[in-house]
Amino acid sequence: MSADREKHDMTQTDIALLLADAADEVEIGIAPVQAVIRGGRRRRARRWAVAAATTMVLAGSTGATLAVTGLPGDGQQDRGTSVAAEARHVDRPHLTELAGGTDQGQRWRVELSVWDAPRDKAEVTRQLEAMRRYGIDADALPERSHLVGKTSHFASLYYGDRGGRVLLFDTAQEWNRMTGKDIEFGALPLTKGGADRADRLVVGQVAATARQVECTWEGGTGSVVRPRAAAGSPVKWFVCLGPAGKANKSAWVMD
Amino acid sequence: MGDGKQARSEEFQSFMVGRWPRLMRTAFLLTGEQHAAEDLVQSTLEQVYVAWRRVGSADDPEAYVRRVMINLHARKHRRRLKEFLAPRDDSGLVHEVADTGDRIAQADDRSALLEALAQLPPRQREAVVLRYWEDLTETQTAEAMGCSVGTVKSNAAKGITKLRAIPGLAGMVTHGGRK
Repeated sequence: MSADREKHDMTQTDIALLLADAADEVEIGIAPVQAVIRGGRRRRARRWAVAAATTMVLAGSTGATLAVTGLPGDGQQDRGTSVAAEARHVDRPHLTELAGGTDQGQRWRVELSVWDAPRDKAEVTRQLEAMRRYGIDADALPERSHLVGKTSHFASLYYGDRGGRVLLFDTAQEWNRMTGKDIEFGALPLTKGGADRADRLVVGQVAATARQVECTWEGGTGSVVRPRAAAGSPVKWFVCLGPAGKANKSAWVMD
Repeated sequence: MGDGKQARSEEFQSFMVGRWPRLMRTAFLLTGEQHAAEDLVQSTLEQVYVAWRRVGSADDPEAYVRRVMINLHARKHRRRLKEFLAPRDDSGLVHEVADTGDRIAQADDRSALLEALAQLPPRQREAVVLRYWEDLTETQTAEAMGCSVGTVKSNAAKGITKLRAIPGLAGMVTHGGRK
């Protein structure tokens, strides 16, 4: 070994020793297993639009929402069935109106769009263009590099004559499996930047077997709604709207 | 919860407890700060947890974990550059309690090294930490960083050169450091 090489190796060895020495300075502490698991569950839950102040709750059975099913978007279909390309909703989403009504004289509705998984880059390009045309905000558009093989869904609010505002969205290879009384929901104001900033619009998903969901509001009142199936989604969806100025307190599956 | 899920959950917990110290040390070298290191490891493990069904059955779950951690570090650095270029006072290193002259000097060395690391561009820091602390091969480092072996060589070489050029640290390195 030449002198230069010896010196080179010595230098790198010493840097490794110095790094090890410095690394020992960190306080290791106890691994926060439960905190990580809770965080992981939240990550599995829907990604809620961050523009609005939102609250999100993941509740239900002990970790059952961590289970995975087949590819999202195939709903109740036989997973072994090959779906013809023309039957897939790559650039024409499955659309379902989840709920609607009138608030302070303004019509509102929440619409769910489910986009089947693109199979290649060409389909990704088509899908992203279609999502933009549909009105998905740039902030909610999934990253191009992460789209192949993944289904996306967006719950959008249409209020008055305004365009759609994405309330929640997710792009994933697999839907969460929801069973029993599992529930995931978020609450946020009905209007963005309006006077009523109470988180009184609740959008959520429950198991396909759920029949009734109760949302409760500040002041002790409650609303019972029937969750509904949505095209392209293996879970049911529900929407509750609380009284003006009353924020959501909770939501739970009654039966 | 079914038996399979229960088993996977327990497997993950065991994995996490076992890897936590090592991951914390790596994260500390990457971030230079206790709380940032905890955040980085926690975020990394949350992602690993989400994908555990796939990761846990993979041949090399460690490689996946490293990749996630480096991605998160790179992403956070892009967003909050200054945080990482300016080591904070609460790193715990500067205020190291030293009861002997040697310990004081040792703490100074550590502090100097961490400051030197913090001054490296993130990709160079990642390459140095993975190559010389994690002791990965160039190929493994390239996989973790999502780049070519050539890029790893370049980043590691530049990083080491810059570390050696820093006064004090250069002396430690050239003369064998403190052991």
